[in-house]
Amino acid sequence: MRLYIHWPFCVSRCAYCDFNSRVASRELHALYHHALITEIENRSRCIGEERRDLGSLYLGGGTPSIMKGEEVARFLEEVFRYFRRGPGTEVTVEVNPADWCAGDFIQAREGGVNRFSMGVQSLSDDVLAFLGRRHSANQAVEAMRSALASGADVSADLLCALPAAGRLSASDSLSDVLDLGPHHISLYGLTLEKSTPLAKRVELGEVALPGEDEAADEYLALVSTLGERGYEQYEISNFSRPGYESRHNLAYWSREEYLGVGAGAHSLIAERRFSNRSSVLQYIENIKSGGSTLESYEVLNLSERESEEIMLGLRTTAGVREELVGHSVDGLEALGLIVRRLGRIRLTPSGMLVSNTIIAGLLPDVDSLRCA
Amino acid sequence: MDRNNIRNFCIIAHIDHGKSTLADRFLEITHTVPSQKMANQYLDRMELERERGITIKAQAVRMHYSLGEGEEYRLNLIDTPGHVDFSYEVSRSLVACEGAILLVDASQGIEAQTVGNAYLALEGGLTIIPVVNKIDLPAADFEDTAMELADLLGVDSGDVLAVSAKTGEGVEDLLRAVVQEIPPPSGDPELPLRALVFDSTYDVYKGVIAFVRVKEGLVSQGMKALFMATGVKSEINEVGYFSPDMISCQDLEAGDVGYISTGIKDVSRIKVGDTITDQKRQAADLLPGYQEPKPMVFAGVYPIEADDFADLGDALDKLKLSDSALTYNRENSRALGFGFRCGFLGLLHMEIVQERLDREYGLQLVVTSPTVVYEVETRDAEVVFVRNPSDMPDAAALKEVREPYVQATILVPPDYMGNILELVKERRGVYQEMVYLSGRRVEIRCKLPLAEIVVDFYDQLKSRSRGYASLDYEHIGFLPGNLVKLDILINGEPVDAFSAIVDRNHAHDYGKKISQRLRQLIPRQLFDVPVQAAIGGRVVARETIKAKRKDVLSKCYGGDVTRKKKLLEKQKEGKRRMKMVGKVEIPQEAFISALRATREETPK
Repeated sequence: MRLYIHWPFCVSRCAYCDFNSRVASRELHALYHHALITEIENRSRCIGEERRDLGSLYLGGGTPSIMKGEEVARFLEEVFRYFRRGPGTEVTVEVNPADWCAGDFIQAREGGVNRFSMGVQSLSDDVLAFLGRRHSANQAVEAMRSALASGADVSADLLCALPAAGRLSASDSLSDVLDLGPHHISLYGLTLEKSTPLAKRVELGEVALPGEDEAADEYLALVSTLGERGYEQYEISNFSRPGYESRHNLAYWSREEYLGVGAGAHSLIAERRFSNRSSVLQYIENIKSGGSTLESYEVLNLSERESEEIMLGLRTTAGVREELVGHSVDGLEALGLIVRRLGRIRLTPSGMLVSNTIIAGLLPDVDSLRCA
Repeated sequence: MDRNNIRNFCIIAHIDHGKSTLADRFLEITHTVPSQKMANQYLDRMELERERGITIKAQAVRMHYSLGEGEEYRLNLIDTPGHVDFSYEVSRSLVACEGAILLVDASQGIEAQTVGNAYLALEGGLTIIPVVNKIDLPAADFEDTAMELADLLGVDSGDVLAVSAKTGEGVEDLLRAVVQEIPPPSGDPELPLRALVFDSTYDVYKGVIAFVRVKEGLVSQGMKALFMATGVKSEINEVGYFSPDMISCQDLEAGDVGYISTGIKDVSRIKVGDTITDQKRQAADLLPGYQEPKPMVFAGVYPIEADDFADLGDALDKLKLSDSALTYNRENSRALGFGFRCGFLGLLHMEIVQERLDREYGLQLVVTSPTVVYEVETRDAEVVFVRNPSDMPDAAALKEVREPYVQATILVPPDYMGNILELVKERRGVYQEMVYLSGRRVEIRCKLPLAEIVVDFYDQLKSRSRGYASLDYEHIGFLPGNLVKLDILINGEPVDAFSAIVDRNHAHDYGKKISQRLRQLIPRQLFDVPVQAAIGGRVVARETIKAKRKDVLSKCYGGDVTRKKKLLEKQKEGKRRMKMVGKVEIPQEAFISALRATREETPK
């Protein structure tokens, strides 16, 4: 079983973020913390004994590193009362480089964290300021060093497809980060989310995002740099040294079961997908009153499961079984967008760049399934 | 009533020069409509009537008017369509009258179509009463407008009347002039019946209603009638007139105007210009001037939703009942699916039909760029008419392609003459002559290919003369041209909806324009897609839609698979609705926008 815990609070919002996060008082943090533990306790009771063995735990946000290392350790101690940690359990915490010093990493590590996911984004101060990040490039480097020194596995998040001024620095940032020797890299293209400050600036013409071709070329160049430096791509946005793939994230793509707790968290258990309300206040209220926190609940039938398998599997370099796909892929293969091997198909880096188009074409026709 | 006390007349006026308002004043003054019931523009009430569920439009209204000493007159006011598309219908309405009021807006001056219709009236021997309207407007220039009218008709400018249809000023005098100047109808009531059909309409209960002018003899209820041009036979169920509502009567005599109903359900069997006679006592000849309506402009009409195809067919069947000039045949377009190739008298007619299909039948349509009909002679001396460019025979099989030409008259202030001559040249026009009508206006006469008028000529005419130039034209038949069929190929596959027949010298420009437009409208595919314009096998313009490079969701936040799934399912659904041209997926919207962009260039 895999457990995702959502910590929705941030010190400030970044210019590009539309995710479920908010800036709030310590009092609210405490109330939320309490509600989380209550939910974890409740869920652990109803999901059945065998699901209480943890394959991985992921504390994400928001910004969980608003808590100090020691607080995280104490929080995890509470969690481990309800879910059992084994020697192989992957325990990840997302960390903003502005928040922690060496001691925090060590304390978190002692509390059971064995993987840090660092929100580096860039190693250019200009880009960081533009993105509205709270940390400088130096702080990011320092935090990376401390994280690595703690002995845990370390992943760094980086952004590409940045506006003109930041574009050179994406490849610079990548080399600089790789020089630090992380185990894992997540490389995300900056996407414009509606009604974020960044979207407004783009709308006003203050900044221009790179064109499709530029962004695509940059991505391919970064993927190839990563490969040369020994980081294998295993998903559209994820790369690691061999053996250091994020097991927690892989679980999402291979449709393993996971339980998400906290405001807006998603779960897949027993072929049911469900999610919690994203409003923090409502979530706290519902937990307190013993009411339902559910916002959505869906039972997946066979065809939906197969669709998901295609949609998620094709994000990874493992790909999917060819027999699962009812459409001819000869054309895609001829265009160099997919590779067939040993009865499986997977996307090439160029194919991954247009994965939405490809996947939408390969999903089974909804209507024909309905009729059958 | 004594025939000497009947006056049959019409009003010739350009759109917006005040015809309907003047007619309203007449109805008021003659107490045909009590002024408290007077809705604005009573005669122009098609819309209003439809809302009330009454479908009959009065094309001729009977009014009673006393002049001095209790002398009673019957005035029949006959409505004429005001647009060049309907010049044949106009000519038939004129034949039903002995006189015409030539009404011109004092602030606008004479327009080309008014001149055209005035000539038609003069040729028909009608007495013309020149009238300047809107003299109440501050911008009114009565003197100059009266001069123009006088020059046009060869009368003294002192004989031109001044009215304001809006305020009623001068309208009584005008009515008096109608009685005094327009001669009463002639025609022997004892001769065998000859009645001219000058318009028709359709009523669900009464069937086809024909508006008639009895030229000789007498038409009465119960008579067995023969329509001489078409050979259609029918009993006359009802005879009557509008005043302004339908009033049935026993008969209509030589000199009178009214309607007959026959119970015939198909309006196309009763043709404007036909002559009605008595089966038992037949006239020897039809009245002169009859013509079959000939559609000159063709366009493909397709439902946006393929499921609406059957409804579109039904709607066209029904429209045809009241619009005999409309023609339509089923066709199949690779890009647009099933639809109809429709034939129209002209662009206005096309707009009207499109508007009615939309408003009355709620159909959402795509209409392809209008084309004209081409007369094509093949090498084996066969002559075919091509109404759809994709039906054009192979270039190798062609001997000659002929296209319809019009004799055009353009009126324009001298300042803009140069611009307009240039436009005529650009549009392959053949300049003939130029006449100064007055210091204010020059008449340019030229021959133009109809195809050039069909595409945005009218807009250009207006924009290059600051709105002052006006156009009138009549069809003069087919003339050979240097014409080629231009195909548009997407990824090597021809797309029929964009094929066009163009002048060889313009083929490159046209091809370039369409391919650029399509390049912008067709979304990027997973591979490069060439868009080519080609004549036969020869490419004359080429654009490339570059392959799509990036369409990816980079992040999967905390296992929220549902959001991603919905997005992809939506994309999948979008794909399913795409039209496939070879391997290229094209949203129907792209075709529609490309066609709309082309259509925007055509006049309203």
